[in-house]
Amino acid sequence: MDAFFATIADPALFATVLRVMTPLLLAGLGVLISDRAGVLNIGMEGMMLVGALTGVLVSAYTGNAWLGFLAALILCGFVGWIMALVVNGLGAHLIITGIALNMAAAAGTTLVLFFATGDKGMSGALKSEVLPSVRIPFIADIPVLGPLVSGHHILTYLALLSVPLVSILLLRTPFGLRLRAVGMDPKSAASAGIRVKRVQAAALVLSGVFGGAAGAYLSMGYVSWFASNMTAGRGFIAIAVEVMGIGSAWGALAASLILAVAETAAITMQSLGLPHELMQMIPYVVPIVVLTVYVSRRRARQLV
Amino acid sequence: MRSILASLVQLATTVLVIAAVILVILVPLSLAQPDPGAVLFAFLLGPFDSVRHIGNIAEAATPIALTGLASTVIFRAGMFNLGTEGGFFLGGLGAAAFAIMVGVQGPLAAPLAILAGACIGSVACVVPGYLRVRHGAPEMVTSLVFNFALLFAGLLFLSYVLRDPTAGALTSPKIPADARLDRLLQGTRLNSGAIIAVLACILGGVWLFATRSGLNTRIVGSSPGFAAHLGLPITRITMATQVVGGLIAGMAGAVEVLGLYTRFTWVSLPGLGWTGIIVAILARENPFLIIPAALFLGYLQVGGDILGRSMDIPSEIVGILTAAIMVAVTAKIIFENPRLLRAIRSIKQQEAK
Repeated sequence: MDAFFATIADPALFATVLRVMTPLLLAGLGVLISDRAGVLNIGMEGMMLVGALTGVLVSAYTGNAWLGFLAALILCGFVGWIMALVVNGLGAHLIITGIALNMAAAAGTTLVLFFATGDKGMSGALKSEVLPSVRIPFIADIPVLGPLVSGHHILTYLALLSVPLVSILLLRTPFGLRLRAVGMDPKSAASAGIRVKRVQAAALVLSGVFGGAAGAYLSMGYVSWFASNMTAGRGFIAIAVEVMGIGSAWGALAASLILAVAETAAITMQSLGLPHELMQMIPYVVPIVVLTVYVSRRRARQLV
Repeated sequence: MRSILASLVQLATTVLVIAAVILVILVPLSLAQPDPGAVLFAFLLGPFDSVRHIGNIAEAATPIALTGLASTVIFRAGMFNLGTEGGFFLGGLGAAAFAIMVGVQGPLAAPLAILAGACIGSVACVVPGYLRVRHGAPEMVTSLVFNFALLFAGLLFLSYVLRDPTAGALTSPKIPADARLDRLLQGTRLNSGAIIAVLACILGGVWLFATRSGLNTRIVGSSPGFAAHLGLPITRITMATQVVGGLIAGMAGAVEVLGLYTRFTWVSLPGLGWTGIIVAILARENPFLIIPAALFLGYLQVGGDILGRSMDIPSEIVGILTAAIMVAVTAKIIFENPRLLRAIRSIKQQEAK
């Protein structure tokens, strides 16, 4: 038990939680934007993989981490646009398209990795760059607060900053209003003169950009290489984050924080000899309970 | 006669679309290789060049025909439950656990293990189905997430209860020989599970199209309002199909593990439940068409494996092909194109005269 408390008191623990949280939050915000527009992005897992590989490849060839990051954002935004084109232009099934995207991305990234490095497993042969961590001047020197607030990865700050931005975008801008209207009732939105397909395409592009950021964080922040299927289900946890957050950006922040704490605890408990599979189930069981309670409560209220 | 002709038009369109997708992806890839002709030849004709390869096709088609049937039954009731993936995993684990821990011997060992796997696996579809029917929780999201919860629950069971401590990796002890399915063809892993798959698909088709309960299910799935007007027990029918679909998904996993493996070794979701969804879509949710659809995907898989072995192209290309086919086949712009629909209708009308 002493070991347990020693781990909790460790100041590095907070940093670990933030590190685990960042990709979940970024991807969760991406799923949130798509879901509010009525085009739930099941393909988030695939988009993250594409972003992770793009970041590594472009940064390795240009020698610039930021170019890699930018390329990941652009390419994943493009993937989102393709998805919108396939769903709205070709009229393909939304969920099937998402599953297909995951499948194509898992296979495609392995294929591209093979053609780029001759290895199907890992990009160890490539010398890729990583995005830096940020030391905030002045604040970093404050005794207790400094180590807590400063010194995290730049994408962690970006993810935290995105929460109020996405919240404002969805709730306080004309675009957000149109987006929510489309998600709630596309036919009414169309009759009010909103171009439904265009708004949904924009939502999927934005969703893709967030997915690209989440993926780039995995391969250029979490670690410094790309491995096939390295997202390991985080894209699906992102869907869970969105569900647990009940459709708001701040909710997504809370949900990803809870899941990050759970995952960090799982790592800790493993060293104490407790089954970590039990903790690994949490991110998947909790959203089901939250969703069920939320929906059945809302239904009960409607019946009264 | 004419209605057969009308469905032939749709079949021909599907085949044409799939052929186009394969060529669009494969031709540029093969042109990058020193001998483009050999690549196309190996992929497209390689799977038919020996009895063993043909056996491999059937072997690959067996599990996805069953998961395809499971998805079909579930989708036909109007639910988009993605629990087949978790059901497949859990069914395999359940069957292995039953065979190892209960230790039934003799000819009943395999059927009982499959039954146990089916029952355990069905949880993956039944829970999201129940949450939808009783509480209105969207089954698509809950089943998707639930698959992963079941994966870790299964791994927990595997590491703490079923694990073989003498083995280096995380695997179960050996599955008793009595519980394993018989091999049908030398040199391949084709097993008697293939017979189960074919029988199940035929049975499923007969149920769906020739029985009253199949008709009721189709009505509930395609027009719930009409079903309510008829006074059909919608909740009960929907729930029953989730249970049956879950049982089939679990059975698929059980057949796969007992047919191909000597130990239970899955430590991640095997992905054959997702492929089952593709099969169901390809077969247009028609159990009879599942067999050719599954064989076709098996053919792609074997072609990809041959490519991976003989050329410098990883077999992952099949994943991209399958994904593209999946999207193309659900594309409304092709299959609900006014011209195609008009053509089909005019053929059918000629029959009426």
